[in-house]
Amino acid sequence: MHAMPILTIQAAESLLKALEDFLEKSEASFALIIERGGSILSQHGEIPDTIDPTILSALAAGSFAATRELALRVGETEFSALHQQGRQSHILMSAVNDEAVLMTIFGPKTTLGLVRFYSAGAVKQIASVLDQACGEPQIPIDLGAEATDDSHDVFEEPSRHA
Amino acid sequence: MSIINYVNKEIQFKIVYYGPALCGKTTNLTYIHSQVAEAHKGELVSLATAADRTLFFDFLPLNAVVVKGFKTKFQLYTVPGQVIYNATRQLVLRSVDGVVFVADSQWDKMEENIESFKNLEENLVRQGTSLDQIPYVVQYNKRDLGNPAPVHYLDFVLNNRKVRVPSFVGIATSGQGVFATLNAISRLLLQKFARENETAATKQQQRSATTSATTALSGIAAAAAHR
Repeated sequence: MHAMPILTIQAAESLLKALEDFLEKSEASFALIIERGGSILSQHGEIPDTIDPTILSALAAGSFAATRELALRVGETEFSALHQQGRQSHILMSAVNDEAVLMTIFGPKTTLGLVRFYSAGAVKQIASVLDQACGEPQIPIDLGAEATDDSHDVFEEPSRHA
Repeated sequence: MSIINYVNKEIQFKIVYYGPALCGKTTNLTYIHSQVAEAHKGELVSLATAADRTLFFDFLPLNAVVVKGFKTKFQLYTVPGQVIYNATRQLVLRSVDGVVFVADSQWDKMEENIESFKNLEENLVRQGTSLDQIPYVVQYNKRDLGNPAPVHYLDFVLNNRKVRVPSFVGIATSGQGVFATLNAISRLLLQKFARENETAATKQQQRSATTSATTALSGIAAAAAHR
């Protein structure tokens, strides 16, 4: 099983700082750090209200994993980035380490070259934060009664209660 | 293992609906999506073929506030059931926290159910985990169709490991058993999380006790040296 990072306040702020620096230098629109199972670890930038980052994250993880698998099947062991070129918005996905991917969305304000250049530094910074976060002990949380209450349904089904 | 973000106060769980082709995995998600209030759900995304068969996965994000002060996100995925898509199933299983195994109750689907369950076990081993470590529940779907096997037989065939897990009968097209299944897996995940949380609390207490003892000993040593 892959080790999951524990996003302490310090780790989460370091990831956010790395994204802030990266977006400022690259002039990309927004970026997400995605765990390869599809969950978001951090996000920053101008994410339009019409976009659900949770869905972007799940699709990006799937797309990156599928393309990596394709590369492996044709005998390629190196797979570090994936670029989708659109008319207005472009996507660059860069491998951070074996556990995470950096997804960057950028428009006409910048270029692929610039985004790729600055993503290389950001990826190293993020990888270092995540490596440390994977070894962090879980901080106990006050769960409250509902979390472990057997009689409480997490999700309600309105039509059956009606 | 779930992802915890202490800044956003979020806990994320990944649940995968697994089972043979056409057993009703996507129908489960479609029904859940139709019932959950807007504020607690995202869009249902299906990567399907032109014939509406799951090609890669279906994805449905759900939110709840069940852990005090923390937004709890449940991300529901389905896998493609067709045998040829095993590589895709392995990708979708990555970082899974809990599994719902959906079986087709029809007698003539028993071999496919068993094959799919074995495939799930093999694919989890490839991920470095197993059904002993991951909470899972079983749903016997399609009870409304012509020739369903009795539940005790399905339990004998598909729920006969060392520990029997919760099982539910379902008719996903009408919603029967769908929420009971979802709530059961969500509860198992939260209970596992609570156990891990308790272990974390014990370890933290031990660390604090060790630190206090070390500090006290250093104080005594310093005082002795001063004298």
